[in-house]
Amino acid sequence: MSGLNLELEVFRNIFLSIADEMGIVLRRTAFSANIKERLDFSCAVYDRHAETIAMGDHMPVHLGAMPFSVAEALRSYTIDPGDIVILNDPFRGGTHLPDITSVSAVFTTDDPEPAYYLATRAHHADVGGMSPGSMPLAREIYQEGLRIPPVKLFRRGEIQNETLDLILANVRTPEERRGDLAAQVASHRIGERRLLAATEKYGRGRISRQMDALKDYTERMMRVRLQGIPDGEYDFEDFLDDDGFGSPPVRIHCRLTICGDRALVDYSGSAQQQRGGVNANLSITVAATMYCFRCLIDDDAPFNSGLLRPIEVLTKPGSVLDAQPPASVAAGNVETSQRITDTLLGALQKALPEKIPAASAGTMNNLSLGGIDPLTGLPFAYYETIAGGMGARPTADGMDAVQNHMTNSLNTPVEALEHLYPLLMRRYAIRRGSGGEGKYRGGDGVIREFEFLTDTDFALLSDRRQTRPYGAQGGHPSQPGQNLLNGNPLPSKGHFTAGAGDRLTIKTPGGGGFGRPRVMEP
Amino acid sequence: MPNPHIQVGVDTGGTFTDFLIRDGERYFARKTRSTPDDPARAIIKELADITADEIVHGSTVATNALLERKGARTAFVTTEGFEDILEIGRQNRPELYNFFAASRPRLIPRNLTFGAPERILHDGSVERELTDEAAEALARRIREAGAESVAVCLLHSYVNPAHEQLLGNKLERLFVSLSHKILPEYREYERASTTVVNAYVSPLMDRYLRRLDQRLTAGRLRVFQSNGGSISTRAAGHSAIHTVLSGPAGGVLGAAAVARSAGFKKIISFDMGGTSTDVSLYDNGFTYTTESKIGDFPIRVPMLDIHSVGAGGGSITYLDSAGALRVGPRSAGAHPGPVCYGEGDEITVTDANLMLGRLDPEQFLGGRMPLDIERTRRRMTSFAESVGTSPNSLAKAIIQIANSNMERAIRAISVERGYDPRDFALLSFGGAGPQHACELAARLEMKTVIVPQHAGVLSALGMLSADCVRDFSQSTLGRNVNEVFTELEARASREFDAEGLPQVHFERQVDLRYEGQSFEITVPAADRDRFHDAHRKRYGYDHSGLAVEAVTARIRAVAPLDKIDLDAPTQAETFSSVYIPPGWASCGDAAGNLILTTP
Repeated sequence: MSGLNLELEVFRNIFLSIADEMGIVLRRTAFSANIKERLDFSCAVYDRHAETIAMGDHMPVHLGAMPFSVAEALRSYTIDPGDIVILNDPFRGGTHLPDITSVSAVFTTDDPEPAYYLATRAHHADVGGMSPGSMPLAREIYQEGLRIPPVKLFRRGEIQNETLDLILANVRTPEERRGDLAAQVASHRIGERRLLAATEKYGRGRISRQMDALKDYTERMMRVRLQGIPDGEYDFEDFLDDDGFGSPPVRIHCRLTICGDRALVDYSGSAQQQRGGVNANLSITVAATMYCFRCLIDDDAPFNSGLLRPIEVLTKPGSVLDAQPPASVAAGNVETSQRITDTLLGALQKALPEKIPAASAGTMNNLSLGGIDPLTGLPFAYYETIAGGMGARPTADGMDAVQNHMTNSLNTPVEALEHLYPLLMRRYAIRRGSGGEGKYRGGDGVIREFEFLTDTDFALLSDRRQTRPYGAQGGHPSQPGQNLLNGNPLPSKGHFTAGAGDRLTIKTPGGGGFGRPRVMEP
Repeated sequence: MPNPHIQVGVDTGGTFTDFLIRDGERYFARKTRSTPDDPARAIIKELADITADEIVHGSTVATNALLERKGARTAFVTTEGFEDILEIGRQNRPELYNFFAASRPRLIPRNLTFGAPERILHDGSVERELTDEAAEALARRIREAGAESVAVCLLHSYVNPAHEQLLGNKLERLFVSLSHKILPEYREYERASTTVVNAYVSPLMDRYLRRLDQRLTAGRLRVFQSNGGSISTRAAGHSAIHTVLSGPAGGVLGAAAVARSAGFKKIISFDMGGTSTDVSLYDNGFTYTTESKIGDFPIRVPMLDIHSVGAGGGSITYLDSAGALRVGPRSAGAHPGPVCYGEGDEITVTDANLMLGRLDPEQFLGGRMPLDIERTRRRMTSFAESVGTSPNSLAKAIIQIANSNMERAIRAISVERGYDPRDFALLSFGGAGPQHACELAARLEMKTVIVPQHAGVLSALGMLSADCVRDFSQSTLGRNVNEVFTELEARASREFDAEGLPQVHFERQVDLRYEGQSFEITVPAADRDRFHDAHRKRYGYDHSGLAVEAVTARIRAVAPLDKIDLDAPTQAETFSSVYIPPGWASCGDAAGNLILTTP
């Protein structure tokens, strides 16, 4: 581009504020704790090519993967004004079943073709399947819950009640689902209104030019950053504990090739897809890759599709990082995505030893549970993820008790949790000493202890219970996590039942240390 | 109450302390340099020749104690097993894509954190009783640890405060903040944070106010709060949490007072200073929020809803790694300041205004500080050449970018809350505001801009227009709302009586939500049906068939005070430079405000 685009920042502000406002509406009007308290959702704006233009600072694992949903919705349908397509099928644009994505098109008056697209993704607390919370350890996707290929929830502004009824009949908490879907729809309406107002004000041509310019701009930023990494090949491997069905550790491998202002990330050395739900589809692998590269840029670059232009991602179809039907996938989005990050950052560590931290906890510690609430006689379903320690940085200790890398969801306040569900929190504390030693210490993990007040089924999808988050540059690995029921160890992944008075304790891993620990003088 | 003869509004800011003095029917303004080591000094000195009957003071003592981590040695007590809740917070990291983000700051060291052997359940029942002996032992340990101030936040204390009260009794003679008194609402982290900040800053505020009160020779001292009302020094010394961010609140009150007297009922106030810009919306009444944050600390007491962005006259222009022109949030501040101040080398928004002739270099700060326009021109020219544009285009772009940041702030408080900015006038103050107001208004299709006569001391003016206001709230989960209102009003009456203000009236409000939602909308208690409309206005739809639940009852207790009359003649002031673009007409009104309009 010649000369200086003096308006770029202005338009960046406009598009970002639209994505932000969509998020505000979704959050504040949602019904499930998972969306309103924990912020497990994302909203984004796409241009007429269905390329990402702006996303709120929401969930990293959603943001890189949502363009796949928009593309799949467009492959399936002609989207008319007032239509909203929803989907959750991991093999048709989704990631795992609880994440329901909605896609709509925005039309200007002068053009029969869509001018822009909008999408929201929200993690619904239950979408049916073999266990409450729909995050089970399953052998095939059919057990994991209701699979929704792209379908129109709205046609030309009219809700499709047959579709909605079919969905609600298959979930444990239908009224909550109805409210959450309504919140997603409201978010589209606001986004549409704001995009049309901006178009009227600035003109379609000017907006399109600036959308293109923003993608080019992020691409330039990425290329400048890649040029600052020494050319070469960098290999790294890391492992998931198991697939939940007794498999040996599952290998994730990446070979990163840096050449000038381009990067090739080859994951084809990773394990075959597994029986248990640690399988990730391609969109998750791309999302995790995008996240790592975005973190290399110091400026607050707009997160859009330009970021990925200089980066090529290679996977082997049928592998754990490019799963094919009917693989079960519940943990791919939430556990394997973290290990992909650990692996790619491990490779980058070799190239940029002073820029990349040691491994963080590397698991989201997914807990889903449900049963019949004795107070109301109605089913309840709850899902949460639990923070761990952050890996030590080249210049500072890692943070204690924070969400790392691919998630940033909040906790549910103890007082809210106890109001909403038959649960009693016994302990919520930092797990002292769980971070790895080093010149800089890894952050400590968390201890969260629940007491069940009624018969409850629960499922755990966690990792780093055997393998440990690595240290960097001589720093030590951290303590692995632990799951305990009444003091007895539980495996990292599986289904369990508990009765009133039983206590579940989850101890999450710390982060690895950075640099050799200082030796104490005798 | 007798009509006080001399009233003074005093606003202590970072650089200047502003005064608005009402003497009978006359008003005059004063401005002096602040004395940050002892803010009282500037006040005492400037008021040496005045025998004030009443002083309303906006102080930054509490805010600064928090931001500079100079608060009291504070202990934190919570339910055993939950001692780390402040450190864990909401478990999210502050920046998504930054490995090097700073760790969460901590006000309370671990050795001053204590777990109480007790547990109350969500319905208020006691599962594990806090025994008298245990409370006694805990109080002893806290004293031995050398705490000066104590914050107590036990789980579910907003339903059943018995255990907090017991600990409060055992801790007498220390400075005690109990969470069920500071913020009786659910969500333990936010309540604990609010309580801890109060405990941390109140002792300093209390000492400061006592000293100031002693040194002021006469008159009654009242303290201005961030909810736009004033309270007694005694109340402020106990609950200094209500005074953080009171400076910007003064500006909003002043803006509303000016607007009302000029005949405007809907305004957006726009206060653009050197490093940041504050905006707030007034729609025939103030808008409030209970979701403020200062630094990294959530503070959930009601405050005027003021949105702040890091864009001001001192915001620095630069090219980022991909060659895009950026403005702020880094600021040149007062030192080295913009290029035209003579020392700094980085171009700022102020330089861009100067370059385009929107600032008079001879009249800056009333002529006390001439600006070096040649220096700006040289620097702007070389920057413009390096990016292949003209200095004027560059300057215009800088202003556009700054305006787009501020536009986003105004959208956040208007469009995002269901208000249409086109229905509002933009009231501009702060040093840099009037140079940007018209163009900013045009971006939002607003037709009227008001630049008030007292733009330089608007915050002090606002303090003189304040009533005595205190907010009381109580979670109503599982309770009869009317009972809660009666309790709150009884409590408010007692406290106002104690201050010698028996003429109090109450505004009842209630936070409602659809059963199952988590965010509430505050509506007048007498008009609960407005909830559906408010939900639709704010979020674009409603669920009129669903059940609505009351979450929090709120009482705003207001004792009217004698207020200033802005139509009275005042001593003339010089405006800061006002930029009037083509298409705008200007006229002065009777009170000396400048009104700018565009068709």
